[in-house]
This record gives sequence, C-alpha cells and structure tokens, in this order.
Amino acid sequence: MSTPSRTVRVRSSGRAVHDTLTAYLFILPSLAVIGVFGIFPLFFTLYVSLFKWRPGGKVAFLGLGNYAEIFGKDALPLLAVLASIAGFVLAGLLIRRRRSRAGGLLLAAGLIVLAASLVALAFFLPALVAHGDKEIFDALRVTVWYSIGTVPLQLAAGMLLAVALSRRMRGQQAFRVVYLLPYISPAVASAAVFELLFSLRPDSFANQLLLLFGGKPLQWLQEPKGIIPLIFGAVPRAAGVGVVPSYWLQWAQGPSLALMSIIFYSLWVFIGYYALIYLNGLSAIPRQLYEAAEVDGAGRIRRFFSITVPLLSPTTYFLTLLGVIGTFKAFTHIYVLRHPAASGTVDPLSVSIFFTFFRKARLGYASAMSILLFAIVVGLAILQQRTLEKGVSYGD
Amino acid sequence: MATDRARPRGEAEVPRSPSRPGRVRIARKGSPAGRACLYLLLFLGAFVAVMPFLFMASTSLKTIAETITRVSPIPFHPDFWPASPQWVNYIFAWTRARFGLYFRNSVLTAALTVAGVLFTSSLAAYAFAKIRFFGSKVLFAVLLATLIIPESVYLVPNFITITRLGWYDRLAGLTVPFMASAFYIFLLRQFFAQLPTELLESSRIDGAGHVRSFLSIMLPLSHAPLFTVAFLAFIGSWNSLQWPLVATSSPRWRPITVGLTTFITDAGPENQLRMAGAMIAVLPVLLLYFVAQKQFTEAIARSGIKG
Repeated sequence: MSTPSRTVRVRSSGRAVHDTLTAYLFILPSLAVIGVFGIFPLFFTLYVSLFKWRPGGKVAFLGLGNYAEIFGKDALPLLAVLASIAGFVLAGLLIRRRRSRAGGLLLAAGLIVLAASLVALAFFLPALVAHGDKEIFDALRVTVWYSIGTVPLQLAAGMLLAVALSRRMRGQQAFRVVYLLPYISPAVASAAVFELLFSLRPDSFANQLLLLFGGKPLQWLQEPKGIIPLIFGAVPRAAGVGVVPSYWLQWAQGPSLALMSIIFYSLWVFIGYYALIYLNGLSAIPRQLYEAAEVDGAGRIRRFFSITVPLLSPTTYFLTLLGVIGTFKAFTHIYVLRHPAASGTVDPLSVSIFFTFFRKARLGYASAMSILLFAIVVGLAILQQRTLEKGVSYGD
Repeated sequence: MATDRARPRGEAEVPRSPSRPGRVRIARKGSPAGRACLYLLLFLGAFVAVMPFLFMASTSLKTIAETITRVSPIPFHPDFWPASPQWVNYIFAWTRARFGLYFRNSVLTAALTVAGVLFTSSLAAYAFAKIRFFGSKVLFAVLLATLIIPESVYLVPNFITITRLGWYDRLAGLTVPFMASAFYIFLLRQFFAQLPTELLESSRIDGAGHVRSFLSIMLPLSHAPLFTVAFLAFIGSWNSLQWPLVATSSPRWRPITVGLTTFITDAGPENQLRMAGAMIAVLPVLLLYFVAQKQFTEAIARSGIKG
C-alpha cells in the first residue's frame, strides 16, 4: 500500500491520547525499575543521611549531625572553602570574557579573584581537614591523585594506539581483539593476577623487572609511602610545623606507591578501550583532509596535531568526562588490590563509602558521604560541560 | 578548525594509491622500517595485554610449591610454566572452593538480568524513538541524568529497599535492580530512530497497532543492537562485585566474583587455586568474546560507556 506517510501524522486527538497511553505502557517496566532503584534512592539516601541508622531498625534523628562529622563543627573553614570554589568559577567567567570591550579590566579582575581564591583555599582547606573526618579527606586526595594518574595517560596512549591501529595492515582485527581483552574480562580475576605481579616478594614480576634495570625490590601494593620520597629521598617531615604547611607537605609526597600500582592496573585495563573509542572517532574523519594536507607538504606529525587531535576533540571530551567520573565510581579492582598495610592511601571515596556501610554498618553516615560524592560528581559534570565543551571542535 | 595549511611545495611526491572504500585508513604505507617499528610496538602492546592472562593460566596449573620456587617474569622462560600441568587444581577449585556453585549462580543471575534488560529497554526505546507522546523529552532527559550517579550512592538506599522487600540474599535482589538502565534504552533508541518511520506507518495503516509493529518490524530488524545490549548487560552482570557483596550473605546465590574475592582473602597462600578460580571466572567471557569478537569490538566501540 502506498499511501503517503503524511496522512498518518494528521491524527485526531483520540489517536494522540491512545498513542500517549501506549507509549507509557511501553515505558512502564523500565520506569518502574529505574524509578525504584535509580531515582527514588537519591531522595531516600538524602533522608537516611539525616539519621543515625543501623541495620535492624535502630534509627535516631540527627539532623545535620552526619554532615557536621564530615566537615567538622566549625562552619567557618567550610564556608571559606566553598567561597573559594565559587571564586574559581567567577574567575573563570571573568577571564573568558576578556575579548569583550572592557576586556583588560575583566581579565585583571579575574586574575585578582583567582589569586584570592587560591590563597583562601591554601589556608582554609587545611583547617577544614583538621576539623573534619580525616578518612574522607584522605579518600578525596586519593581520588584526585588517581584521576591525575590515569585520565591524561589513558587519553594520550589511547589516541596514539588508535592512530597506529587505524593503518591498513595484516592482523588489524586481531590486535583490536587483544587490546580489548583487559577491559572485557572480570576485574576481580585480572586484579587478582596483578596482586601477584605487584606483590612485595623479591621474585614477583614487578620486582624482577626492577632487578633487570638494576633497582632494588619494592613493596608495591603494600607501600604506603608517597612516590616522591621514594624517588628523591625524604621530603621534609611534617613534625613541628603549623597545620597549613604540614597539610600541603602531605600533598607533596605524591600518590603512594600502592596507589601507583593500582594506577598501572587501570592503565592496563583502559588504554585499549580508549583506543577503540578513538578508532571509532578516527573513522569519521574524512580522508581528503589528510590528502590535502599531505599535498600541501604537511608532515606526519603536523597532520597528527593539526587534523587528528582537533577533529578527535569530541571523543576526547567524552572520554575525559567518562574517565574523571569513572574515578569516582572505581571500586572492584581497588577492593581486590587494597592491602591493609597501605590503608588510607589507596581508598577513593567510593571505596570508603562501601566500608563505612559494609564493615562499620553506619548507614546514615555512609549516606551523607554518598551525598557528598554525588554533589562532587554533578559539580564536575557541569564544570566539564562548561569548560571543555568550549574547546571542542565538531568538525565544521 | 585547524586547516592552517602550509604552502604547497613543488615536490609533492604523492602517487595516489587506490584506496579500498569503507575502511579506516589514515596514513599510507610508510617505509618498511617504519612498518616494522609499528608492528614491533603493536606486538609489544599486545604482549602486555595478554601477559597477565598467561600468568593466570600458568599459575593455575602449578603445584603450591611451584608457585613459590618455580617462577619467572618472562613467558618464554620454562620456569614461567609448571613442570607438569596440575589439572587437579581446577577440580579442587570447582568442588572444594565451591566455584561450581558460584558459577551456576553467576550464569543464572546474568541470564535473568539480560532477559529483563532486553524486555524493558527495547519496549521503552521503541516508545521514545517512534511514538510522539506528552512528556517524552523530559522523561528521557531525567532517565539519562541517572547515568552519572556513582553506584556507591545506591548502596545504602537499595540495601534498605531490598531488605524491606524480603529480597536480601535472594536471586531477585541480585537481578531486578539491574533489569533496566537508561543507558541501554539510549543505545537502542539511537538505532530505532534511524529506521525509517514510513516502514512502521505503512504497517499501521494496514491496521497494525504499536505492539504489532514493534514485534514484527522493529525487533526483526534490530539483531545487531539487541546483541550489543545483551552482551553489555551480560558483561556488566557477570563482572559486578559491589552490589552482590552487599546483597548476599550466604553462598546460596553468591556469584563467582564474590566467591573469588572471599576466596582470595580466605585462602592465604594457595595461589594456584585462586588463579584456577580466576580462570573459571574469565573463561566464559573469553569464550563468548572469541566466538563473536567482530560484533563485540563493534559493540564496545558503539557503546562508549560501561559502569
């Protein structure tokens, strides 16, 4: 039957109501599951976070008590840190407007706000941490190190690998299959292998490799010391100095070697995956661009930086978002690879929440931590959308 | 956009080689030395990707003494491998360490989850792609927004929910919460939206309702994306650890991931059994992967996200 499709779109209102009902019927199963286990929990966890909540129905109302335990009873440092974060946002907005008519003024104002925020953060963050829950702020520091250690390297290595894999050659598909293996396989199993490979035994894989290059065996997953003192000798100890310098000295130690080992595992898992996603992006770049550039005498490296990198920026944006938010979701491999000897230096916030709930059975407090995690993730998502997307080229 | 071109040079030496259409190809063939370098690097990378699996396999076949005395970091060294493979480790792991039971639990959990996901998300994706209805945009946006929420946020509330429902330490508690996801709806909707609407409308003029056009037109045309979703849901379920740790308390429904981690912490130095258990957890995924590797690599490339 060849009726023009237009006629179908002209519908009576009865038809529209019928369609809407059908649509909701189709969506109902998904909506029921996602509603109960995906949307309702957000509000429920907010509710639980206001209580001292133990399993078995032992419940007592605390108000904001759980949050006071996270951030400390003193509100001043928290407000100051929040204000400095707001300052960063404001500075960003001001500096971005620098091309407008009052550009010079705005730029100057932006830089002043930026400097003030930095100073405020440098002074008040240590105070906040000193009053608040040490475990949570340790976890946040771990999360930051973990993001810095994984995301940029995964992006760079993934992109290069994708370019290498995009060449026409024998065994292309075989390489893709092999590079995706770490990502596909259960993290519980592959992390168990890494636990052996990076064990402190002198005959472990990591130590044998070190030996080949003339190094001494290390503790790897059981080493809570930061990598900076391990590489360069001791960083000055924090004894006797004030709260502020001693806090920043902790940062100066760098991530612990145990966390570095976990970062190695992450790289092993994700580089192949990133490469595959990049490969997908590469296939969308028109070949003519490269040919034109080649005719114009652009070398291979020039072509890479002037064509490949900018045209892959949507993929890079997507993968950055995925990677940073993934840092806040990381659980399985850290659960397997964490060792009591390195405790406090490898658990990001997600793992810390899990143990607050699972071991300590503090459901209310774990909920308050979840709300904090959720707020950070949402904040990051908004920030990334605002900043990175500006620099993204969609190829036109 | 970056088209700051250099001046055309006279000596443009490009003899254009005929390219096969439809294939990703960026650079033309380089010098033989360059190609050799490329292959060397790619092989090195492949070796790094595979080595831990070889280590897993070799250790799972060693005796407990060999896991301590007979070790080498290099797979080409005979000490990397056992003197004679101890297949009995697998029998131990399967029976004494109860990996047989955990394996069955994981299979059941994954099968139920995949079935649920296919049912819920294909229906919803059809509605979002092909039916115009009030509130569809808002609803879709709300569903998508749930994707950035970390799983840790769900632990406490969903634990309380399944306890109240009486699903704690039951199969339902392990499967039902994962039987729908905005992500799978999104994936399928992208595909459904590409299929020409005329196809459905002509059948609807013939008197078929949405249910009929969904079942007899949409689904038969959608093998590839449905497979993608099934595969991703399977991997997600099979590899999950955090929720099953929280939602089970006995071996009754405990999946293999939880079995493996509790075994890892309990078993002490019996690394050969741990690795046998790890092999048992990995093998089904690898088998599936190698059987349908082409679809899988494409599925992952298309997916762009996993938990």
